Amino acid sequence: MRNSYLLFLLSDRIFGVRLVGAIEILPWRASRRVPLAYSYVEGLLDYRGIVYPVYNLLQRLNLGRPGPIGFTAEQQSPARTGQSIILLEENKMPFGIVVDSVVKMTSLEDPVSAPGKVRGIDPKFVKGFSYEEDQEIMVLDFERLLHAG
Amino acid sequence: MDVGTRFLILSLEGESYAVPITRLLEITVPRGIQRDAKLTEVFEGKIEFRGKWIPVVNVKKIFKLGGKPGAALLVIKGAKGLLGLLVDAVTEIIDTEQKPVPLPKGVMNPTLNYYAGILRHKEGLILLLNEDGLLP
Repeated sequence: MRNSYLLFLLSDRIFGVRLVGAIEILPWRASRRVPLAYSYVEGLLDYRGIVYPVYNLLQRLNLGRPGPIGFTAEQQSPARTGQSIILLEENKMPFGIVVDSVVKMTSLEDPVSAPGKVRGIDPKFVKGFSYEEDQEIMVLDFERLLHAG
Repeated sequence: MDVGTRFLILSLEGESYAVPITRLLEITVPRGIQRDAKLTEVFEGKIEFRGKWIPVVNVKKIFKLGGKPGAALLVIKGAKGLLGLLVDAVTEIIDTEQKPVPLPKGVMNPTLNYYAGILRHKEGLILLLNEDGLLP
Protein backbone atom coordinates (compact mmCIF):
# COMPACT_ATOMS: atom_id res chain seq x y z
CA MET A 1 0.00 0.00 0.00
CA ARG A 2 1.11 3.55 -0.63
CA ASN A 3 1.28 5.94 2.25
CA SER A 4 2.74 9.31 3.10
CA TYR A 5 6.25 9.32 4.46
CA LEU A 6 8.56 11.97 5.71
CA LEU A 7 12.14 11.46 4.59
CA PHE A 8 15.04 12.75 6.61
CA LEU A 9 18.79 12.54 6.73
CA LEU A 10 20.76 11.34 9.68
CA SER A 11 24.45 10.58 9.61
CA ASP A 12 24.41 10.61 5.77
CA ARG A 13 21.67 8.01 5.53
CA ILE A 14 18.15 8.53 4.38
CA PHE A 15 15.36 7.40 6.67
CA GLY A 16 11.63 7.41 6.39
CA VAL A 17 8.84 7.66 8.90
CA ARG A 18 5.22 7.04 8.03
CA LEU A 19 3.06 10.04 8.65
CA VAL A 20 0.20 9.37 10.99
CA GLY A 21 -1.59 12.42 12.33
CA ALA A 22 -0.07 15.84 12.48
CA ILE A 23 3.61 16.54 12.42
CA GLU A 24 5.67 19.60 13.11
CA ILE A 25 9.18 20.37 11.99
CA LEU A 26 11.15 22.81 14.10
CA PRO A 27 14.69 24.11 13.94
CA TRP A 28 16.76 22.36 16.59
CA ARG A 29 16.43 23.91 20.03
CA ALA A 30 17.55 22.88 23.47
CA SER A 31 15.11 20.69 25.35
CA ARG A 32 14.54 20.69 29.07
CA ARG A 33 17.08 18.23 30.39
CA VAL A 34 15.82 15.38 32.59
CA PRO A 35 18.51 14.02 34.90
CA LEU A 36 18.74 10.22 34.94
CA ALA A 37 16.68 9.84 31.78
CA TYR A 38 17.79 7.32 29.16
CA SER A 39 21.01 8.43 27.51
CA TYR A 40 19.28 8.97 24.15
CA VAL A 41 16.69 11.36 25.59
CA GLU A 42 17.70 14.97 24.93
CA GLY A 43 14.95 16.24 27.15
CA LEU A 44 11.42 17.59 27.11
CA LEU A 45 9.97 20.15 24.77
CA ASP A 46 6.78 22.08 25.44
CA TYR A 47 5.15 22.87 22.14
CA ARG A 48 1.60 24.11 21.73
CA GLY A 49 0.46 22.67 25.01
CA ILE A 50 2.01 19.24 24.61
CA VAL A 51 5.13 18.03 26.40
CA TYR A 52 7.19 16.00 23.92
CA PRO A 53 10.09 13.78 24.89
CA VAL A 54 12.86 14.50 22.39
CA TYR A 55 15.00 11.59 21.31
CA ASN A 56 18.48 11.80 19.96
CA LEU A 57 17.97 9.31 17.17
CA LEU A 58 21.67 9.15 16.38
CA GLN A 59 22.35 7.84 19.84
CA ARG A 60 19.31 5.58 19.91
CA LEU A 61 20.40 3.92 16.69
CA ASN A 62 24.01 3.81 17.82
CA LEU A 63 25.04 5.81 14.80
CA GLY A 64 27.37 8.07 16.77
CA ARG A 65 29.58 10.20 14.62
CA PRO A 66 33.23 9.32 14.86
CA GLY A 67 35.06 11.78 17.05
CA PRO A 68 38.71 12.79 16.86
CA ILE A 69 41.02 9.86 17.49
CA GLY A 70 41.31 9.20 21.18
CA PHE A 71 38.09 10.99 22.05
CA THR A 72 34.57 9.84 22.43
CA ALA A 73 32.27 11.86 20.25
CA GLU A 74 30.45 14.45 22.30
CA GLN A 75 26.77 14.45 21.35
CA GLN A 76 25.80 17.93 22.40
CA SER A 77 28.39 20.15 20.82
CA PRO A 78 29.02 19.53 17.13
CA ALA A 79 26.96 21.06 14.39
CA ARG A 80 23.58 21.49 15.98
CA THR A 81 22.89 24.33 13.60
CA GLY A 82 20.90 23.07 10.68
CA GLN A 83 19.51 20.13 12.59
CA SER A 84 15.79 19.81 13.00
CA ILE A 85 13.40 18.35 15.49
CA ILE A 86 10.48 16.45 14.02
CA LEU A 87 7.46 16.16 16.30
CA LEU A 88 5.40 13.06 15.59
CA GLU A 89 3.17 10.58 17.26
CA GLU A 90 3.09 6.83 17.44
CA ASN A 91 0.13 5.05 19.00
CA LYS A 92 -1.10 8.44 20.18
CA MET A 93 2.16 9.03 22.01
CA PRO A 94 3.70 12.34 20.98
CA PHE A 95 7.48 12.49 20.69
CA GLY A 96 10.23 14.34 18.91
CA ILE A 97 13.33 13.17 17.09
CA VAL A 98 16.48 15.07 16.24
CA VAL A 99 17.55 14.69 12.61
CA ASP A 100 20.26 16.27 10.47
CA SER A 101 17.81 17.58 7.94
CA VAL A 102 14.36 16.99 6.57
CA VAL A 103 14.37 15.92 2.92
CA LYS A 104 10.72 15.90 1.90
CA MET A 105 7.31 14.40 2.26
CA THR A 106 6.46 11.82 -0.32
CA SER A 107 4.23 8.89 -1.04
CA LEU A 108 5.92 5.50 -0.87
CA GLU A 109 5.01 1.85 -1.04
CA ASP A 110 5.06 0.50 2.53
CA PRO A 111 8.07 -1.67 3.25
CA VAL A 112 7.04 -5.30 2.86
CA SER A 113 9.24 -7.24 5.18
CA ALA A 114 11.57 -6.75 8.05
CA PRO A 115 15.12 -7.05 6.85
CA GLY A 116 17.39 -9.73 8.24
CA LYS A 117 20.47 -7.58 8.31
CA VAL A 118 21.01 -3.87 8.25
CA ARG A 119 24.44 -2.38 8.04
CA GLY A 120 25.33 -0.68 11.30
CA ILE A 121 21.82 -0.59 12.79
CA ASP A 122 20.04 -3.03 15.02
CA PRO A 123 17.50 -4.64 12.62
CA LYS A 124 14.81 -4.69 15.28
CA PHE A 125 14.51 -0.92 14.85
CA VAL A 126 13.95 -1.22 11.09
CA LYS A 127 10.56 -2.00 9.59
CA GLY A 128 12.03 -2.49 6.17
CA PHE A 129 13.09 -0.68 3.05
CA SER A 130 11.10 1.36 0.61
CA TYR A 131 12.39 2.68 -2.66
CA GLU A 132 12.02 5.91 -4.49
CA GLU A 133 13.82 6.30 -7.81
CA ASP A 134 16.32 3.63 -6.82
CA GLN A 135 16.99 5.43 -3.58
CA GLU A 136 16.84 3.01 -0.68
CA ILE A 137 14.92 4.44 2.26
CA MET A 138 15.15 2.81 5.64
CA VAL A 139 11.79 2.91 7.38
CA LEU A 140 12.15 2.92 11.13
CA ASP A 141 9.96 1.14 13.61
CA PHE A 142 9.29 3.83 16.17
CA GLU A 143 7.20 1.64 18.37
CA ARG A 144 10.30 -0.44 19.02
CA LEU A 145 12.61 2.52 19.10
CA LEU A 146 10.67 4.19 21.85
CA HIS A 147 10.62 1.13 24.03
CA ALA A 148 13.71 0.98 26.13
CA GLY A 149 15.83 -2.12 25.98
CA MET B 1 -6.66 27.75 48.60
CA ASP B 2 -6.35 24.14 47.62
CA VAL B 3 -3.59 22.17 49.24
CA GLY B 4 -0.83 21.19 46.87
CA THR B 5 -1.18 24.11 44.52
CA ARG B 6 1.83 25.93 45.91
CA PHE B 7 5.30 24.89 45.00
CA LEU B 8 8.75 25.93 46.02
CA ILE B 9 10.98 26.44 42.98
CA LEU B 10 14.62 25.58 43.41
CA SER B 11 17.54 25.44 41.06
CA LEU B 12 20.16 22.81 40.34
CA GLU B 13 22.92 23.69 37.91
CA GLY B 14 20.83 26.47 36.42
CA GLU B 15 17.64 24.48 35.88
CA SER B 16 14.42 24.67 37.85
CA TYR B 17 12.79 21.98 39.92
CA ALA B 18 9.91 22.13 42.36
CA VAL B 19 8.74 20.57 45.61
CA PRO B 20 5.24 20.90 47.02
CA ILE B 21 5.21 23.48 49.75
CA THR B 22 3.12 21.19 51.96
CA ARG B 23 6.22 19.03 52.43
CA LEU B 24 8.54 21.89 53.31
CA LEU B 25 9.46 22.58 56.92
CA GLU B 26 12.34 24.98 56.57
CA ILE B 27 14.73 26.67 54.19
CA THR B 28 18.12 27.29 55.72
CA VAL B 29 21.84 27.35 55.05
CA PRO B 30 23.78 24.12 55.21
CA ARG B 31 25.77 24.73 58.37
CA GLY B 32 27.02 22.11 60.79
CA ILE B 33 26.64 19.11 58.48
CA GLN B 34 28.44 16.16 60.01
CA ARG B 35 29.88 13.37 57.98
CA ASP B 36 28.47 9.98 58.76
CA ALA B 37 30.33 6.97 57.43
CA LYS B 38 27.20 4.84 57.66
CA LEU B 39 25.41 6.92 55.05
CA THR B 40 25.84 6.26 51.33
CA GLU B 41 27.56 8.49 48.83
CA VAL B 42 24.54 10.62 47.91
CA PHE B 43 24.38 11.89 51.48
CA GLU B 44 26.44 14.86 52.49
CA GLY B 45 26.01 13.82 56.09
CA LYS B 46 23.56 14.59 58.84
CA ILE B 47 22.43 17.77 60.50
CA GLU B 48 20.75 18.59 63.76
CA PHE B 49 17.27 19.94 63.21
CA ARG B 50 14.99 20.78 66.13
CA GLY B 51 16.93 18.47 68.40
CA LYS B 52 16.97 15.52 65.98
CA TRP B 53 19.60 14.26 63.56
CA ILE B 54 18.33 14.10 60.02
CA PRO B 55 20.12 12.85 56.90
CA VAL B 56 21.08 15.40 54.25
CA VAL B 57 21.23 14.42 50.59
CA ASN B 58 23.00 16.27 47.85
CA VAL B 59 20.33 16.26 45.14
CA LYS B 60 22.92 17.06 42.46
CA LYS B 61 24.76 13.89 43.35
CA ILE B 62 21.60 11.82 43.01
CA PHE B 63 21.06 13.37 39.58
CA LYS B 64 24.72 13.03 38.59
CA LEU B 65 24.85 16.72 37.79
CA GLY B 66 28.30 17.48 39.16
CA GLY B 67 29.26 20.87 40.49
CA LYS B 68 29.62 22.00 44.06
CA PRO B 69 27.20 20.81 46.76
CA GLY B 70 24.31 23.24 46.98
CA ALA B 71 24.27 26.37 49.11
CA ALA B 72 20.69 26.04 50.34
CA LEU B 73 19.24 23.39 52.58
CA LEU B 74 15.59 22.42 52.48
CA VAL B 75 14.16 20.38 55.29
CA ILE B 76 11.25 18.34 54.03
CA LYS B 77 8.83 15.89 55.49
CA GLY B 78 9.15 12.67 53.56
CA ALA B 79 7.22 9.44 53.89
CA LYS B 80 10.20 7.92 55.70
CA GLY B 81 10.81 10.88 57.98
CA LEU B 82 12.54 14.21 57.81
CA LEU B 83 15.12 14.74 55.13
CA GLY B 84 17.51 17.53 54.25
CA LEU B 85 17.94 18.38 50.58
CA LEU B 86 20.97 20.33 49.43
CA VAL B 87 20.14 22.46 46.39
CA ASP B 88 21.87 25.38 44.68
CA ALA B 89 19.28 28.02 45.45
CA VAL B 90 15.65 28.62 46.19
CA THR B 91 14.17 30.98 43.64
CA GLU B 92 10.50 31.49 44.38
CA ILE B 93 7.21 30.13 45.56
CA ILE B 94 4.52 29.79 42.95
CA ASP B 95 0.80 29.46 43.25
CA THR B 96 -0.70 27.51 40.44
CA GLU B 97 -3.92 25.91 39.33
CA GLN B 98 -1.99 23.53 37.08
CA LYS B 99 -2.13 19.84 37.57
CA PRO B 100 1.39 18.53 37.03
CA VAL B 101 1.72 16.82 33.64
CA PRO B 102 2.98 13.26 34.07
CA LEU B 103 6.43 12.56 32.67
CA PRO B 104 5.96 11.04 29.19
CA LYS B 105 6.58 7.32 28.85
CA GLY B 106 9.86 6.27 27.36
CA VAL B 107 11.93 8.96 29.03
CA MET B 108 13.35 6.99 31.89
CA ASN B 109 13.24 3.62 33.53
CA PRO B 110 9.68 3.32 34.87
CA THR B 111 10.91 1.87 38.15
CA LEU B 112 12.59 5.19 38.98
CA ASN B 113 10.34 7.64 40.77
CA TYR B 114 12.41 10.79 40.98
CA TYR B 115 9.78 13.02 39.44
CA ALA B 116 6.15 13.57 40.30
CA GLY B 117 5.46 15.44 37.07
CA ILE B 118 6.11 18.55 35.06
CA LEU B 119 4.94 22.11 35.64
CA ARG B 120 4.96 25.00 33.21
CA HIS B 121 6.34 28.27 34.46
CA LYS B 122 7.63 31.38 32.69
CA GLU B 123 8.05 29.83 29.25
CA GLY B 124 9.87 26.86 30.69
CA LEU B 125 9.31 23.42 32.13
CA ILE B 126 9.93 22.63 35.76
CA LEU B 127 10.47 19.10 36.99
CA LEU B 128 8.46 18.40 40.10
CA LEU B 129 10.51 16.27 42.45
CA ASN B 130 8.99 13.29 44.16
CA GLU B 131 10.58 13.72 47.56
CA ASP B 132 9.73 10.14 48.50
CA GLY B 133 11.32 8.69 45.38
CA LEU B 134 14.69 10.39 45.61
CA LEU B 135 16.21 7.73 47.80
CA PRO B 136 16.23 4.04 47.01
